[in-house]
Amino acid sequence: MSNRPWHLNRRTFLRGAGVSLALPFLDCMGGKKINAADAITSSVRPRRICGVYFPYGASLPGEDHELAHWRWLPRGEGRNFQFNESLKSLEPFRNDLTIFEGLSHPNGRKMGGHDTADIWLTGAEFKGGNFRNSISLDQVAAAHFGEETRYSSLTLSTDGGVGEPTRSSTLSFGRNGQPIPAHNRPRLVFDRLFGINADSMKQQRQELENSGSMLDLLLDHSKSVRKNLGNEDKAKFDEYLDSVRAIEARIDRSQRWLDIPKPEVDASALVLDADDNSPHEYIRTMYDLIFLAFQTDTTRAATYQIGNMNGATSVAGKFSELLGFPQNLHGLAHGWNKKGGAEALGKWDQYLAQQLTYFLDRLRTTPEGDGNLLDHTLVLYGSSNSNTHNNTRYPLLLAGGSRLGLKHGQFLKYSEDTPLSNLQFTMLNRLGVPTEKFVDSTGDLTEILA
Amino acid sequence: MVTLLMRGHRDRLFRPVLSLLKSSAFLSLAVLMPFLTMASEPSGVVDFRSDVFPILERHCFKCHGPEKQKSDVRLDTLSTDMTKDRRAAETWHDVQHALNLGEMPPDDEPELSSEERQILVAWIDREIKLAIAAGRNTSGEVVLRRLNRVEYRNTMSDLLGIAADYGANLPPDTPSEAGFKNNGAALSMSPLQLEYYLDAARKGLSHAIVTGPKPEQFTQVIAKSASDKVKGNYTNRLGRSGTFVGRLMEFPDEGEFEIKIKARAELVEGKGFPRMGVKFGYRADTQAPSRDVGVVDVSSEETQEFVFRGRMEQFPLQSRTQSKYPGQLIWVENRFDDGEKRPVSRQVETITVVKGKERKKKEIEWIEYPDVPKIVIESVEFQGPIFGSWPPEHHTRILIPSEKRDQGELIYGEEILTNFMSRAYRRPVEKNEVQAMLRFFAKVRPTVESLEEALRETLAMVLVSPEFLYLMEPESGEGKSPLSDFELASRLSYFLWSTMPDERLFAMAKNGDLGEPEKLAAEIDRMLESPRAWQFVEQFADQWLDLGAIDRVAVNPEYYPNWNDDLKPSMGGETRHFFAEVLQNDLSVLNFIDSDFTMLNEPLARHYGIENGPRGGSFERVTLNAASPRGGLLTQASVLLGNSTGEDSHPILRAVWLRERLLDDPPSDPPPNVPALDSEDPNFAKLSVRRQLEQHRKDPACNDCHRGIDPWGIAMEQFDAVGRWRDEIRRKAPKGKAMLSLPVESSTTLPGGYRLEGIEDLKSYLLEKRKDQFARALVAKLTSYALGRSMELGDEDAIDQMAEQFAAEGYRLRPLIHAIVQNELFQTK
Repeated sequence: MSNRPWHLNRRTFLRGAGVSLALPFLDCMGGKKINAADAITSSVRPRRICGVYFPYGASLPGEDHELAHWRWLPRGEGRNFQFNESLKSLEPFRNDLTIFEGLSHPNGRKMGGHDTADIWLTGAEFKGGNFRNSISLDQVAAAHFGEETRYSSLTLSTDGGVGEPTRSSTLSFGRNGQPIPAHNRPRLVFDRLFGINADSMKQQRQELENSGSMLDLLLDHSKSVRKNLGNEDKAKFDEYLDSVRAIEARIDRSQRWLDIPKPEVDASALVLDADDNSPHEYIRTMYDLIFLAFQTDTTRAATYQIGNMNGATSVAGKFSELLGFPQNLHGLAHGWNKKGGAEALGKWDQYLAQQLTYFLDRLRTTPEGDGNLLDHTLVLYGSSNSNTHNNTRYPLLLAGGSRLGLKHGQFLKYSEDTPLSNLQFTMLNRLGVPTEKFVDSTGDLTEILA
Repeated sequence: MVTLLMRGHRDRLFRPVLSLLKSSAFLSLAVLMPFLTMASEPSGVVDFRSDVFPILERHCFKCHGPEKQKSDVRLDTLSTDMTKDRRAAETWHDVQHALNLGEMPPDDEPELSSEERQILVAWIDREIKLAIAAGRNTSGEVVLRRLNRVEYRNTMSDLLGIAADYGANLPPDTPSEAGFKNNGAALSMSPLQLEYYLDAARKGLSHAIVTGPKPEQFTQVIAKSASDKVKGNYTNRLGRSGTFVGRLMEFPDEGEFEIKIKARAELVEGKGFPRMGVKFGYRADTQAPSRDVGVVDVSSEETQEFVFRGRMEQFPLQSRTQSKYPGQLIWVENRFDDGEKRPVSRQVETITVVKGKERKKKEIEWIEYPDVPKIVIESVEFQGPIFGSWPPEHHTRILIPSEKRDQGELIYGEEILTNFMSRAYRRPVEKNEVQAMLRFFAKVRPTVESLEEALRETLAMVLVSPEFLYLMEPESGEGKSPLSDFELASRLSYFLWSTMPDERLFAMAKNGDLGEPEKLAAEIDRMLESPRAWQFVEQFADQWLDLGAIDRVAVNPEYYPNWNDDLKPSMGGETRHFFAEVLQNDLSVLNFIDSDFTMLNEPLARHYGIENGPRGGSFERVTLNAASPRGGLLTQASVLLGNSTGEDSHPILRAVWLRERLLDDPPSDPPPNVPALDSEDPNFAKLSVRRQLEQHRKDPACNDCHRGIDPWGIAMEQFDAVGRWRDEIRRKAPKGKAMLSLPVESSTTLPGGYRLEGIEDLKSYLLEKRKDQFARALVAKLTSYALGRSMELGDEDAIDQMAEQFAAEGYRLRPLIHAIVQNELFQTK
């Protein structure tokens, strides 16, 4: 921590604000009022990362196809490219993003067609009998700068929880590859991030202190319980022990954060009761929550899995139908090469891109210092299929970070020799996370370096 | 290389392998395809050396043998022991994929005959399954299992004596591959999970242990509906339109409340009963946030009193400062729905003359319908918080009355802890366990003002301890050993009640009564007769039959203009009540295949077109007339809708459901990169599903599996997506709005040549030819649920024995439950 002196400075600043500890009022939907991050001098601005995933790939008819205008990827190449229908809404962000063709995780190419959502951000060799994943991109970043915010990361998905291996309903995986449960209820997320705790400060402090000694004792006690378990059970029980340790750490951190009040956020413009039966409100609210968490510097690493590839159990599968599209997500994806299918799927791609545009717009219209929130935020958006459950050539785009030394406004094409991890490695570098390698990366993706 | 497709094959891979193991001699290999259990498939014994090797030699070694190793694959020396050699297993799996996809042999080489392909694929499939089985084997041990969300909710309620859902915020549980949500191996723990447990524990204990004087109680009787700023028809007489609004300006923040409504119905001959819905919340304009307190039929023209209970903190509560729409609101409305579309209101234009000028004014007029039964509200009474005494019983249950109360807090604390912990841990506690908690109590006590506060914290620690959160069955020596009496009591109560044992069951464990078969049997009967057995019905039926699927399908209103999502809960209700009916009346489970009755309420009977059915929202047994195609699970809307697209039936989903859920014979997962049904043909949309699937099966790679899948679903084609009988299939033309009408084609042929003409044939076929497979499947599934783990090789004999007994005793569920509980599998750890 010592090499980041501003960390302390910021604390001091907030304390120095005295009685009116509360951060300036943040209007949710307006986004125009004063923002908390102004407090931070421009040289030490927080850097953020966000991963947003959609399942089953995108509509990718050939360039000569009669429905080629529904191709997710643009026409042209390099700086000279034109958006097709699907991503058209992103035109205003042209110079804030780069679109990639041809990237994928080499390990994923060996996996089943529906199995790769789990490794989109991890690149792990995820097969064999054990299904051990490895740490995800957002968590590498969170491990580095997560200490500086109230929550080290925010993990969201429509299905919530962890799901099952190869059909995980989370994009985030911890240090040892253990899945991190995703939140899926906007109200709970809001309460966690911004909820006002009615208890007095003294009570809260007391509660945290109690929790600390409670978990201490619990850990001791549990170790003795473990001794009496069979081998199968011991492995299972370690999940519990690890959880106790993790909360202990979190409580430590909460104690440190106690003096800093949660930002005041007005929820009235948020649709916190949105659920999987109101997809439009739901997806937007999830984006809103990530935006607010970034704006208030409550966290700097977030992931959102819009849907997973578990056609049989994902509640997100019906999103498209509820929104008036002709089929569910799996059906749309399977039908991409049927007559008219490229258009049907393309329209869904277009819809999703419009939601992304909404999110990027909120980031970019929110000033931070002499720039805006998007300048220091990396948003990786895409899937782990190209189409028809094909684990190569992911549709991907990276937005934001123009002040993090990235060169945008390009459509870049790669062969299978370049692993996706090179892009992810570059993202970590640009975020200032000291990294030598990410999974199987072979170096920087130099084309996007300014 | 393609990875071993292991995802979730845990459960589903076992069945076919195991049944074959028994019938084939040691080391001999039987051909195995998912559909091979069927009658006339080539089911000879296949040997690698004599049957598989020659095929490989003929077709593969040229490029993948001693001379050449294209793609680095060499098959002549590749190990065939996939259990020991994982890498070999993966290569074989690649081979299987290549075969399935038709990639190998390549186009310029001679094709495999259909028989050769089958032998190869089947041998690989089988060996891989064995390898997986070996890797997954937990040698028959119940894996340490934490309470799932439902069990946690129920246990907290019973332990604290407060009917509230303390599990509501927990992340969703991961089900096992077979769909069970109480599988120890699948249920995991995470920091977030544990954090919510701690949160729930503190919240629960702050409700259970009270401090201070008896809180103020609010009572308000409202005789006349309030009106509101927002336009609406506020009235005491509720028809198609009309809402009764009760406004409470004073109300408690927490605790149990009671709403008593005196109301009567104005019934209409030949129409169902009006349904009274009661909501509690605030904001008159949107009625959101609000939550249902309850829904009930009003079936009498005499005034009746309806009592609803809830807890304040479980409802959206008005913040006291909000002023635009003040007060906490109770809404009462009439949810009668007979499927007719009736507008609530119309606009009326009135012309008034003001100062010689005509003024037009548009007004809303609420329409009254004589054929809609009404509810007349006479009064609505709110009371809260309610408690029988002060301090309430849930308080004195923890802070027990005791003479030790005056002997110092540590002495009293020890007694409280001993009492509470033994209920929370579901067994007697050791002195040192209590002492450890007491040390924490002593540490916390000086930091808080009252004994109660210190107790809340200490008991919260009990509630996040592993002994509470998990069903602990510590080892007692090498190998299998009998359960202790208390462990057995817990297994029983989580099996049949999804909650902790009650006092009587604890007492029986304490007295050692559960070791006596007769007493145990009597106890099982008592448990099944208790209302708590509904938990078993609901949990098991939902998970076994995947009733959650209903909520994953969105019904397309273009196809079903009269569809109403409110029907979904009724669909699940039919299946649950049907299961309960079979269980409670000790009927044969063959009723699940076909029955002469079903359980309906008014909306569902109407949906099915069954006349003179129930008039209300609750479920009643309805005898089906002989001509009705209904009867059995396969004709229930829950199953039919859950396995549809929301527009049309989905024969493949329905077929897979049948094979997976009823026959425990799931087909293999589709290989990766499945080509979509080729529909470039403009006439494709005009083909019936049966013809479309026939086209699909022209591809040999698809045909190998699908000829064993599709026919099952085709036979259910007479039911549309929402489970109604149909005489035509309506489908949207690829372009244009018009609906195509296609004939229903439900005749099909199962592999083996068995011809089915629709649903009736399918049911008779299942009853004649698959009865025992179905029964055995149910035995295995129920045992898996009872044990909270997947079935394994070592369980086969026990399952077989129970299945035989099950058949001999007339396929009745109750004796089966008894048999499972009395079985060694259940009685040992």
